[in-house]
Amino acid sequence: MNTTKTININYLNLNSMKTSKFFISALFCLTLITSFTSCSSDDNDPKEVVEEELITDVTLTFTNTTDNTDTVVLASIAPDGQDGASTETITGTFTAGATYSLGLVLTNESEDPADDVLNDDIIPEADEHFFKYAVSGIGLTMTRDSDDTDGAEGSKLGVKTTWVAGAASSGNVQIALIHEPQTTDDSDAWGTSTGGSEDLNITFSGVEIE
Amino acid sequence: MKNIYLILFVLFSGFIYGQNCKSIFIGEVLDFHDKKPLINATIKLVGTNKITIADEKGKFTFKDLCDQTYNIEVSHIGCETKRIAVLINGDTYIKINLEHHIEELNEVTLSSDSFIKKTKTGQESIIKTKDLERFSAASLGDALQQISGVSSINTGNTIVKPMINGLHSSRILILNNNVRLQDQEWGIEHAPNIDINSANQISVIKGSGSLAYGGDAIGGVVVVNPNNIILKDTLYGRTIIGGQINGRGYHISSTLNKNYKSGWFAQIQGSYKKNGDFKTPDYNLTNTGLNSVGLAARLGKKKFESGFELYYSYLNSEIGILGASHIGSAFDLERAINLGQPILIEDFSYSINVPKQKITHHLAKANYYKRFQNFGKISLQYDYQNNQRFEFDVRIGDRKNIPAVDLTLQTHTLLADVNLDANLDRKVDFGFMARYQDNFANPDTGVRRLIPDYTKYDFGVYTATEWRVHDAIVLDAGLRYDFNRMDAKKFYRKSRWEERGYNVDFSDIIIEETNTQFLTNPVFDYHNISASVGVKYRLNEKNQIILNYNLASRPPNASELFSDGLHHSAARFELGNLRFNKEVANRISASHTYTTSKFNVITEVFYNKIKDYIYLRPLDFILTTRGPFPLWSYQQTNANLFGIDLTATYKITNALQWQNKTAFIKGYDLDTNLPLIDIPSFNTTNEIKYSKEAWHNFSASLKSDWVLEQNEFPDFNFEVENELNGEMTTIDISSPPPAYHLLHFYSEVTFPLHKKTRLNIGVGINNLLDTSYRNYLNRMRYFADDLGRNITLQVKLNY
Repeated sequence: MNTTKTININYLNLNSMKTSKFFISALFCLTLITSFTSCSSDDNDPKEVVEEELITDVTLTFTNTTDNTDTVVLASIAPDGQDGASTETITGTFTAGATYSLGLVLTNESEDPADDVLNDDIIPEADEHFFKYAVSGIGLTMTRDSDDTDGAEGSKLGVKTTWVAGAASSGNVQIALIHEPQTTDDSDAWGTSTGGSEDLNITFSGVEIE
Repeated sequence: MKNIYLILFVLFSGFIYGQNCKSIFIGEVLDFHDKKPLINATIKLVGTNKITIADEKGKFTFKDLCDQTYNIEVSHIGCETKRIAVLINGDTYIKINLEHHIEELNEVTLSSDSFIKKTKTGQESIIKTKDLERFSAASLGDALQQISGVSSINTGNTIVKPMINGLHSSRILILNNNVRLQDQEWGIEHAPNIDINSANQISVIKGSGSLAYGGDAIGGVVVVNPNNIILKDTLYGRTIIGGQINGRGYHISSTLNKNYKSGWFAQIQGSYKKNGDFKTPDYNLTNTGLNSVGLAARLGKKKFESGFELYYSYLNSEIGILGASHIGSAFDLERAINLGQPILIEDFSYSINVPKQKITHHLAKANYYKRFQNFGKISLQYDYQNNQRFEFDVRIGDRKNIPAVDLTLQTHTLLADVNLDANLDRKVDFGFMARYQDNFANPDTGVRRLIPDYTKYDFGVYTATEWRVHDAIVLDAGLRYDFNRMDAKKFYRKSRWEERGYNVDFSDIIIEETNTQFLTNPVFDYHNISASVGVKYRLNEKNQIILNYNLASRPPNASELFSDGLHHSAARFELGNLRFNKEVANRISASHTYTTSKFNVITEVFYNKIKDYIYLRPLDFILTTRGPFPLWSYQQTNANLFGIDLTATYKITNALQWQNKTAFIKGYDLDTNLPLIDIPSFNTTNEIKYSKEAWHNFSASLKSDWVLEQNEFPDFNFEVENELNGEMTTIDISSPPPAYHLLHFYSEVTFPLHKKTRLNIGVGINNLLDTSYRNYLNRMRYFADDLGRNITLQVKLNY
């Protein structure tokens, strides 16, 4: 009886071990197969995401139409683009009573060479864009030039504008770029719009007319 | 098996000696799991009038048997009756094993919806099939709120994240058929990927009582289980079809089960859900539709001694996010808050536009277990999960159809568990877990990754013991150690890197430099100890007390460490911190249960002190060239939470029942002495239910939900300057909405159609009075009201 018992127990264990062994090896195979396929794509370092249509530098250059040495330059530099911190600088003052034409430069300096966003991206897709301007506390008025590019929803884009400086004063100047607005209106030259998203909204404070 | 040789031997000798009707048959009936004799087992020789009973050693004897094969039937109270064929040839001896403790060994298979608690001393509540079925059209998070102390944190009303005693996301473990869900649960707007229709019963354990599941359940554990397997030749199924007025939604779900007495089983389940824009009492919630498809299949063999299961589940959801919640700068947020209604309200539509989420979750598992006599049970499990998450934002031009978030998370887990239950009074459980996880953030989004690529390794070992001191006292204790390694590859903008001071502390992890960014390789190791000890004491027939202490540790998740960038769908910057430590929680809880035939009260209190608690808060705003954006930053602090959950049921008459559920919780930041953000306010529900079995199981109930205003909240409001005119504007993102009271009605009736076929019809009216309200724990509360009246109709067929 005893010998029979021992044999039985061995048989039982053998049986269970076999099953477990089979099972464990099956599991590992499965793990290996699945992890192998999933790991393979991953051995390389991740690719850098270069955000499209990044705008790092925005420069507004106002030039006196009768004296091209009289300029006012409003510059904004945001090394990380629209989602990062920016620094604004103002060079020069407006002359009371003078008329200025505005030259816009929008670039992406994070690329090498720098990307001319205005001429390469915005103007070719002018029908999706609209520049808006606003001032506060400073006697500036503006008009959109007749040869200004046509922008979104039947309005002038706002890349060619003429500004007139009134009496001596100081205040803020704001420029905004709207992407895919639902409606635009330039009957008031500053421009109004609904919908879309703001690609830019920069305010320069402490602009002066002397 | 054991007796094959003996039988062969006897058979062989039988041929030599020929027919003989003088043989003696001696047998022994033993308990399988602990080898104890089964006294008074009845042994019957089928087809004869011979019957006997096992003595105090489990032994029995039949005399004067002929040399032939007899069928014997062995039965014992509480055991499954066993029939075996025995060949008698000369004097024969056999051992018979029966299992007398199927129930104590957690192997109940008597019905498909009987339940077993997962813990002995945890604050555990169970939601049964019948109650779950009412939520067929809703989500897991909705169903769990039936438990006092369980609430949810929502993004709209289709993204519902469970919250247990004020804690959510990574602090709650969700198990689907014993597989820990790995579905980017760190995100507040990431709902658990579980089809409620695949669940047969759900256990909610407050705190980290059950260490076998993991040691980081600082909030709690949700255990979702499919049907039990019945050892019966049977085919049964269930189909639920329903519709609702609000959102013009409809859903269908069907399950079919085939079980065999031999233990083989198969199950297949599918569900489909669709709804369009929901509405509040006053306006449509444009773009809040949902499409969801779920599939699950199981196959296996379940016997007492061994078994295996193969399981696969698939869930695909497309979820619209309230259109008006897409905002630009902080001024848009301020306008939305002050407007009092969504900026965008359109006519009803089923179409789901951006912003939206599209999530696919696959889960596959295989497990095997075997029981050994006088030892216990060994289980092995492997599972694989694949979670694909797309978040589409309002994007412009060519990028319109490209998701802003595109993450693929793959997880492999191996589990081994040994449960020593030969001694039912002192069970011991131990096991290990190994997990490998790979997250891939697709760069094709054209948006800098909010969450980086990473691989994560987890190893855990645990042991738990359960000790029945005497009939009235059960003790349990557990200990677990986990090792986690997070190995990420992340790009940081140089400006951010310096602003955070990482250039001082982490300069050695930079592996590559580009024009504006550093590629870094942070590798973090965490060692976590978790423990639990508890006691259950039955004072008398009516009163029972449970005391429990848990220690839980949770390493920071990928979002808390690495978040860095504009979370478009939330229009805010989110910033993580590489310097975070793990969270360590000490939770003490006590429960008292009072039960009489009419009155039942469960009182649960807890105190949870969390060291290095991580939370996300509005901190400031970042001035960008697109205007000011809110900046939310993860913070680490010490916190405590405490509260009381009450569930009381009173049978007024046989037909009339009243139930109250009340939860009260407080949470404080101990470093700043401010209340914690996103803590549920005091809420109480009262339900009166009339049921009459004679009228086809008719029941009707009226429920009142009363939620007070959260008067303890941290004031994280901030001021933003309108740069053009210098005006300061306060952005009020902290003030909770006012208190509200809702009434809900529900009624159902069940008709027997055929022998086994039952038809159940349920009608519900949620928010009966069409009350306008907003919930503090709904992220959409800034933009819109919550749902108005909703009439639901659901037909359920069991067959």
